[in-house]
Amino acid sequence: MIEADGLIKSFQSVRALDGAGFIARDGEVTGLIGPNGAGKTTALRILYTVMRPDAGAARVDGLDTVADRRKVQERVGVLPDSLGLYPRLTGREHIRYYGRLHGLGGNSLERRIDELIELLDMGEFADRRAKGFSKGQTRKVTLARALVHEPPNLMLDEPTNGLDIPSSRAVHKLIRRIRDQGRCVLFCSHIMQEVAAISERIVVIAKGRVVAAGTQGELLAQTGQSDLEEMFLSVTGAPAESW
Amino acid sequence: MWRRVIVVFAKEVVDNIRDRRSLLLALVYPLMGPVLLGVMIALVTGMVLAYPRGHVRLWVQGGEFAPELMAFLEDEGATIRTAPDDPEAHVRRGRLKHVVVIPETFRSEFAAQRPATVKLFVNSSRLSGLVAVNQTIDLLEAYSREVGGRRLAERGVDPQVAQPVTIENVSVTRGTHLGDLFLLMVPPFIIFTVFMGGVYLAIDTTSGERERGSLEPLLINPIERTGLMLGKFMAALLFTAVAVIVQLIAFKIIFYFAGGAGSTFDRNLGPGAMLGIFMVALPLMMLAVAVQVIIATVTRSFKEAQTYLGLLPLVPAIPGMALVFAPVQEQTWMMTLPAFSQTLVFGTFMRGEVPGLGPTLVSMSATALVALLLVALAAWLYEREQLIFGG
Repeated sequence: MIEADGLIKSFQSVRALDGAGFIARDGEVTGLIGPNGAGKTTALRILYTVMRPDAGAARVDGLDTVADRRKVQERVGVLPDSLGLYPRLTGREHIRYYGRLHGLGGNSLERRIDELIELLDMGEFADRRAKGFSKGQTRKVTLARALVHEPPNLMLDEPTNGLDIPSSRAVHKLIRRIRDQGRCVLFCSHIMQEVAAISERIVVIAKGRVVAAGTQGELLAQTGQSDLEEMFLSVTGAPAESW
Repeated sequence: MWRRVIVVFAKEVVDNIRDRRSLLLALVYPLMGPVLLGVMIALVTGMVLAYPRGHVRLWVQGGEFAPELMAFLEDEGATIRTAPDDPEAHVRRGRLKHVVVIPETFRSEFAAQRPATVKLFVNSSRLSGLVAVNQTIDLLEAYSREVGGRRLAERGVDPQVAQPVTIENVSVTRGTHLGDLFLLMVPPFIIFTVFMGGVYLAIDTTSGERERGSLEPLLINPIERTGLMLGKFMAALLFTAVAVIVQLIAFKIIFYFAGGAGSTFDRNLGPGAMLGIFMVALPLMMLAVAVQVIIATVTRSFKEAQTYLGLLPLVPAIPGMALVFAPVQEQTWMMTLPAFSQTLVFGTFMRGEVPGLGPTLVSMSATALVALLLVALAAWLYEREQLIFGG
């Protein structure tokens, strides 16, 4: 379970988060959606421990992301905002590196790597060096290394950004599969169709605050709108026809 | 924590062994100094050895006006050649190293027992002529003394009366003076390598990692950031140490071939001195890598880091270069200065002496202390949130 509780975070004079709070439950996919610059990435960065909130708290399985950073890191798998690979390491070596950093090793790690290569259909390029990988191949490697320690919580920042349709579908399938294992998935996106397609719950964030949250039906009922895009525009306060 | 530090260390080593630029800095750049010095030693020793006493080749104009002098020179083993016309132009253009010109007036002045002039045309801008010129001057002076002594004896005077002072050169160093100069160029080269050997790796593993976008995912792994920094630090330290070892071995090989087996060069850089230099250099390597990590952490891009770190090795090497030409008297306080103290200790080794244990320990511990403070600063910088953005 992933919880954000009244998160506040400023960068110089810009207030990126202004009291955002939400919960992502186990066995569910929670989609975080909002306009560009709404604070989605900052919220995730606090949740996955690379940033500290100015006020408020972030918890993963009840553990504070600041006070219990190491323990939280053991319990999350993350596809962060930046997805760089090491050009001189192979796909397999990337997954092995992260596995070892999680304290795994030996045959069990190698078996786990083989499983992930199979699961993500990486056989063709797993032993090639990452220099020259396509976006889809890069994404698969970063997903595999985020999943190597079988984390109970998964956080994905724009997981299908820049991917073609088959690759996006593969990622969606993987997300559902992880949810079906009873794990918690929190992902952010700015594409409403994607959020609608795979999330049980939607959290709409704008100007650093949560402006609406609930299932698709709840959100439509709360706002009296007939479709999710209209709902989104009405809660984020953006003009319907801005241009 | 240490198990994961080793994981980071191992990954960075493998990653950078596959990188041509890291290897170039650690394995090829350190060879530049030894090769340069080797060429210089070979050229200079070649100049000295090419003109052994007794094999002076003398270009002379007007030799017929001083037959007795010519006979003396040939007795001393010089080969006399008749110089072409306009000897001055030949010397100026470098076709001849030097020419002895005996004017026609020599004969009459010599016969009248007045000082007879001999002109020596030399080109002092050419180093290679210096040794031969000195030998020629020695020969001419020897002749002058001999004739002068003979004339005094004819008048019943002891020739020693005309020689009130005898100069005896006593060199206090074990080798030749020229050799010392080259030996003292070794320390600044080593200091340069200490600050250069791991620089690419230090940048690549911090600024480079950030620029590639691989730093943020890395930071989410369950390892303390200090541990992460230490793994990278140790990898850069390893490359630095390899660079210094490569350079020391290269110096050894070059000195053996350029100076000859058993020469001052070969003798002074023995296995003991090499080990001593490496040990004394170790704390400085830690300091250098810590500085590199710090700069790579606070700069925003690979290029920015490269700009600063490209200049860095020159600064600590400059005092060493100055010391080659203007040696200083060692003082204890100097041993507390990182880079400078190592330059002095390396210099002692290179002169064929063993540095005192006290000063050496002061140098090592003072530098190690500064290095530890810098490592602590690097760890603090790694803890900051700005790490993923730079600055």
